[in-house]
Amino acid sequence: MINIIKNRYLLPIACLSFLVSSCDKNILDTTAYGESTSATFWRNGDDAVAAANAMYTLLREEDSYGHNENVFDNCADDIFRAGDHGYEEAMENFTMDASNYGVRAGWKNKYEMINRANAVLINVPGIEDMDETLKNRVLGEAHFIRAFGYWRFSVIYGGVPLILEDNIIESNFNVPKATLAEVQAQIESDLIAAVSLLPATHTSENLGRPNKGSANGLLAKLYLYQEDFDGTIAAGTEVINGPYPLADNFRDNFTPATENNPEMLFAAQGSDWVDNPQYFVTPRPWGGWDFHNPVQNVVDEFEDGDPRLEYSLYKPGDMVQRGPELTEFTADLTQTGFSLNKFTTFNDDGSLSNQANVPILRSADVYLLVAEAKIRKNGLGAGDDEINAVRDRVGLPFVSNAGMPELIHERRVELLGENQRHQDLMRWDKAGIVDIVEIYGEDRGQFDPVRVFVRPKNYYFPIPQNEIDLSNGVLIQNPGY
Amino acid sequence: MKKQEHLVFSFYLQKWRDLCFLPKLEIKHFLVLCILLFGLGAHEVRANASIFIDVLKQDPITVRGNITDSQGMPLSGASVQEKNTSNGAVADFDGNYTIEVSSSNAILVFSYLGMQTQERTVGQSTSINVQLEEDANFLDEVVVVGYGTTAKKDVTGAISSIKGDDFKNLPISGIDKALQGRMAGVQVVPNGGAPGGSVAIRIRGTGTVNNSEPLYVVDGIPTANIDGVNPNDIESIQVLKDASASAIYGTRAANGVVIVTTRKGKSGKLNMSVDAYTGFSNVGKTLDVLDAPTLAEIKRERYANDGIPVNPIWQDAQYQTQLTNWQDALFVTGKTQNVDLNLSGGNDYSTYLFGLGYYNEEGIIEKSAADRVSLRINSDHKIKEWLKIGQTMSLSSRTSNGFNTTSAQNGLIWSAIRFHPGLPIKDSDGNYSSNQISGEFGDINNPLFEVDIQDADRRDTRLLANITPEISITPDLKFKANFGVDYTIIDQRSFRPQVLNQIRTTNENSANRSYDEQFSFLMEYFLTYDKIFGDHRIGVVGGYTQQSFDYQGFSASAKNLPDEDPSQRLLGTGELNNMGEYKAHDGLESIFGRVNYSFMDKYLLTATVRSDESSKFAEGNRTGVFPAFSLGWRVSEESFFDVPFMDNLKVTGGWGELGNQNIDRLQYLARISRGQRYSLGLDGSVDVVGANQSSFANTDISWETVRMTNFGVDMGFLDNRLTSNFNYFIKDTDDMLLRPPVIGSQGSNPSPYLNIGKVRNKGLEVELNWQDTKGDFGYSVGANASFVKNEVVKLVSGTFLGSSFYGRPNQEISRTYEGHPIGTFYGWRADGLFQTQADIDAHAEQPGAVPGDVRFIDINNDNVIDDKDREIIGSPHPKMTYGINASANYKGFDLTMFFLGVAGVDIYNADRMQGLDASYPFNLYSDITGRWTGPGTSNEIPRVSTLRTNLNHRTSDLFIEKGDFLRLKNLTVGYTIPSDITDKIGLSRLRLYVTGQNVFTITGYSGFDPELGLTDGNLQQNVDFAQFPQARTYLLGANIGF
Repeated sequence: MINIIKNRYLLPIACLSFLVSSCDKNILDTTAYGESTSATFWRNGDDAVAAANAMYTLLREEDSYGHNENVFDNCADDIFRAGDHGYEEAMENFTMDASNYGVRAGWKNKYEMINRANAVLINVPGIEDMDETLKNRVLGEAHFIRAFGYWRFSVIYGGVPLILEDNIIESNFNVPKATLAEVQAQIESDLIAAVSLLPATHTSENLGRPNKGSANGLLAKLYLYQEDFDGTIAAGTEVINGPYPLADNFRDNFTPATENNPEMLFAAQGSDWVDNPQYFVTPRPWGGWDFHNPVQNVVDEFEDGDPRLEYSLYKPGDMVQRGPELTEFTADLTQTGFSLNKFTTFNDDGSLSNQANVPILRSADVYLLVAEAKIRKNGLGAGDDEINAVRDRVGLPFVSNAGMPELIHERRVELLGENQRHQDLMRWDKAGIVDIVEIYGEDRGQFDPVRVFVRPKNYYFPIPQNEIDLSNGVLIQNPGY
Repeated sequence: MKKQEHLVFSFYLQKWRDLCFLPKLEIKHFLVLCILLFGLGAHEVRANASIFIDVLKQDPITVRGNITDSQGMPLSGASVQEKNTSNGAVADFDGNYTIEVSSSNAILVFSYLGMQTQERTVGQSTSINVQLEEDANFLDEVVVVGYGTTAKKDVTGAISSIKGDDFKNLPISGIDKALQGRMAGVQVVPNGGAPGGSVAIRIRGTGTVNNSEPLYVVDGIPTANIDGVNPNDIESIQVLKDASASAIYGTRAANGVVIVTTRKGKSGKLNMSVDAYTGFSNVGKTLDVLDAPTLAEIKRERYANDGIPVNPIWQDAQYQTQLTNWQDALFVTGKTQNVDLNLSGGNDYSTYLFGLGYYNEEGIIEKSAADRVSLRINSDHKIKEWLKIGQTMSLSSRTSNGFNTTSAQNGLIWSAIRFHPGLPIKDSDGNYSSNQISGEFGDINNPLFEVDIQDADRRDTRLLANITPEISITPDLKFKANFGVDYTIIDQRSFRPQVLNQIRTTNENSANRSYDEQFSFLMEYFLTYDKIFGDHRIGVVGGYTQQSFDYQGFSASAKNLPDEDPSQRLLGTGELNNMGEYKAHDGLESIFGRVNYSFMDKYLLTATVRSDESSKFAEGNRTGVFPAFSLGWRVSEESFFDVPFMDNLKVTGGWGELGNQNIDRLQYLARISRGQRYSLGLDGSVDVVGANQSSFANTDISWETVRMTNFGVDMGFLDNRLTSNFNYFIKDTDDMLLRPPVIGSQGSNPSPYLNIGKVRNKGLEVELNWQDTKGDFGYSVGANASFVKNEVVKLVSGTFLGSSFYGRPNQEISRTYEGHPIGTFYGWRADGLFQTQADIDAHAEQPGAVPGDVRFIDINNDNVIDDKDREIIGSPHPKMTYGINASANYKGFDLTMFFLGVAGVDIYNADRMQGLDASYPFNLYSDITGRWTGPGTSNEIPRVSTLRTNLNHRTSDLFIEKGDFLRLKNLTVGYTIPSDITDKIGLSRLRLYVTGQNVFTITGYSGFDPELGLTDGNLQQNVDFAQFPQARTYLLGANIGF
């Protein structure tokens, strides 16, 4: 029997055994193709630069400057929300509750940006194979981005949880809100670090990264919100005296070919955006989605002959060059009859360009911050030089002995559509300079109706309800929501 | 002359096409087919040719006789069949039969339900009387289980079966669809009705919030899906439902196992058959929307209600003439065709089956289509007494084209419901009408324009094949091996032209191509041992298996192609947009064993264990052991058993553990991904790439474990004409992988999966079957029902699982909470409308409400209506799913009917929610004509407004509808032409039939189709996004045997 088995089955069994033994012993081994692991990254300067680059890409998402950061300024008296995002109506009218999509959308995006900066701050100092100048630049960029993230948090929500290096290392994310003062202190220390680490200017291929002027400019803004006028003047003057002159032409800041000129201290860089804000601001029949329409009230704010009107918005009767076509802008193209054009440029074939940047901080803004600090500190006329520098560029007559009304006017027309007005009004309201309840309470028609601003509740948006739910009682809602 | 020949040839070719329902079959395909047929079939054709010729030459012989049971009682209705033909007859009331056979070589097969079948060769006799013995082994029907088969009477686990014949020739693109309603405990949910569309299969409830699709085992090859396998190639399907039956597949069995066995050849003469059908389909229902004049009227009213000037476009008479019903324009008559050619046969040493199938479905929206060409070669060979080799192979190529119909931003059907009815399809210049006229019409592109420019193809090519050598070491001990390959190539391309004349523009044209490969190799060795020792019957199987899975692919896209002509839409002509490549590997290595033991054929035991090692988990954490056992007692075999009318009673019970390793790989590593792009430089022309951490690590990650307990009762009554099966189960999923909700401060990376969740499904499954024959009339009725209760027992403490949000308003609809089923609807509760200001004053504070707005219930009684007043308002899980099939035959006629239904289920009609919301610039549902216009006018449909102050159309029970339905899924009436006629035209069988699919649906649901499927994995189900509805299809078909 055994013999028979041997003879009959020897060959096939041998063959099969061979197959068994030759089978891939490493069938369970896997590889992360095309990816690194945290253990195999952070080797050299290239890795550090790549990690820094990844911080900025978040600015381009719809939840960020692709769209949603701009929604927080719809509340201003400049802009009607338009568009078809239902939740934006409640945000504009101060009737939103904490579960409103718009107040939630950017929360994660900003923390992701901050945490990518945290990752750089944790890992880059230990990289040995890296040029020290480059290391300083990368660390400076990370400090700036972390400060910028918390800056946006501070103006939208006030105090928020502060996630820093230790939180990442200890995986400790569910922490209580820091106070506004603590958040501002963190922003200040990060910006001071960024000022010391960042170069004054970048080489041409690195234009668009924050530089020393970007950090000083944001610092000037922070100090003004803290009513530290000396701080604003000191930091702002660094910008004004630094290599960050106003562009010769106002429109250069909104033209793709010259968008990273020295005046542009910080911008969300546009190139082949999918969720480019230009879609959001351009009329639907011209390829956009028609959000954020300017209202009559802000159109009326422009002085006669101010070229910034034409460079900021389309109004009925304007002839617009769309590729080969010269088209008249008509009132029925948008809901209010006006359309922001700061981000709108057209390609040669008439299609909408998606190369435009979203300006976040310009030297002109810093000039006016310094002017405001000087006026509020030293009184009428103290900010004339800075205001006139901004007016001079667009060929408007100089002001003299300017006070807050002139400053307020100048900021409104210079920065229309750049996400400043609502924050400016709240800053001035807190200082007793304007009455925001009255401004928003006035009935200026269908697109600028009576809106009830409640102090102090509406100084901040609510903390997203889902974050409060997830925190199990750790996160406390802002007052009034 | 040449031309003449060509014409004649074309004529015949045309005839051939008509005959085969194959308009797309080209001559080269035909030639390839002929060569294949010749190569594979020639040998067998030659071998059988002499018999074949004999058959043709001989005159028919008439055989008569009488059929009785062992007591000599006539068996009225017993059947006589000429073997390997469809020629048959039925015994009359006295058990007498008459049949004409083709030759003296013919073999007659005598059969009767519950009796042993007998075969007799005709020879020289013209009178054959038979006595049929009662079939003690009536329950010896064989059931395919993992790594073997077992007699149905010995089954101690919960296994449901369906025969391929039960769903043969139905207009379905995939086998998974065929399972719907056929078996208790198997729920099939179609994700819309697009041609070639997918389905979700849930065996014994949704066991996990993660991937809960079952494991398929096709002729022994475990695989994730059965796409591409021709449904008409299926011999049988067994669904292993409980742990005892499925534990042999260990860490892949938690969601159940579907065992698919394909047809094989049988020893005997060559059989050739052609099955073909062709038919048409249409949309069962369209939704009533406003016509142009009414739309303008309601738009004007919404401005008036808000006290703001009416946008002049709504006073423009040009847009107040009804021109187009966009749904009618979009839905067309679809076409379905199928043809299968089968050759099979064999001898004592080899059997073979060769099958070629072609299925083509053109959907009810132009350009939505799917087709499948499949080739099957199965054969078995006995090389030596001790060596057998079997082989199966399925090669298929499928194409499919479709549209996005699950988006409430730009879904095609969603758009057709909402596009302005006062616009023509095309204007007088022949251009598609466009909403660029006014932003007031909404940012929807003309749906027919979108259909027109649609250019996307997908081709899936799949090879599924194995070789199974078997060595008999002794008569009881066998060594078996199984080498399998599962190889799929998915090739996709698409092109979108530049669109400047529609409101949603596409600034740059773009072309995309992607190519994905999945290659899996299976290697198994196992021993089987079966032996009877007196009263003890024992069966043992045990072995080793490993399966590797390699994935790779690349994709590229180009933009700004200079020429949009269809012939120029190739990547290389444009600018590189992006490209990508990926590669991944998974592996699984396992040992398994099973013992079946039976004592005196009364007491049954099955014990199974499998140990799996999976690359999905970190080293040191890879091995999972999955044990299971079950016991059975065949009470009816006991001597004391004496219940009138009852022939069979078996009770079973079992317990076991199963795993689910269907999760993302490499989760035990923290990964850093490159590829995020940013631009720098003065003009933004310097591209830079970022790298960021894309996942957090969980080194302890493990499979999900299912522990299942099962109790079953099998009964047979009235000579087993009535059989029933009841199963009760409790299925607990432990260690369910959940990502603890990512607290926002963690950033946008998901947290790693942790094994923390628990889900419980428990339920009752009932299957009843009745079959009987009365003279020439035979009929059967079967019904099955399952009652499953799904409950999430544990999530990350204090949390819920969210789901995707709906449309423009970004509305939350579905949430999953502990103590409730997966994916419940979550929102406010409405309590009619405020009729007067007094109503509002009397109610809890509801900011912004005016008369005509919805009154929401203050659920938490804090006197304010806010987002804390939400709760669970409905469940997408049916309390009962059921199927009823009935078949009858009388003489040559046959009839089958198949109903399926669900009961006790909710649908969230999100499309209607937005269709009644006049604050959006779209067309509206006709129901809006019943809106509130003053006190007492409506208590259901709120006033119209441009504003959303009260958010009347927030997620609330106002838009929950009952999703119960009963659908006549199939109705088939067939007639088999009597053999004396078919013989004259040289056919052995000719059956003609008509089939209706989705013939009618009884439902109270107001949308297109109550079968909506999943829109965000398991976390969102039964939400109406205006999905592609299932078509109603009518077919005419023929089964031809040669």
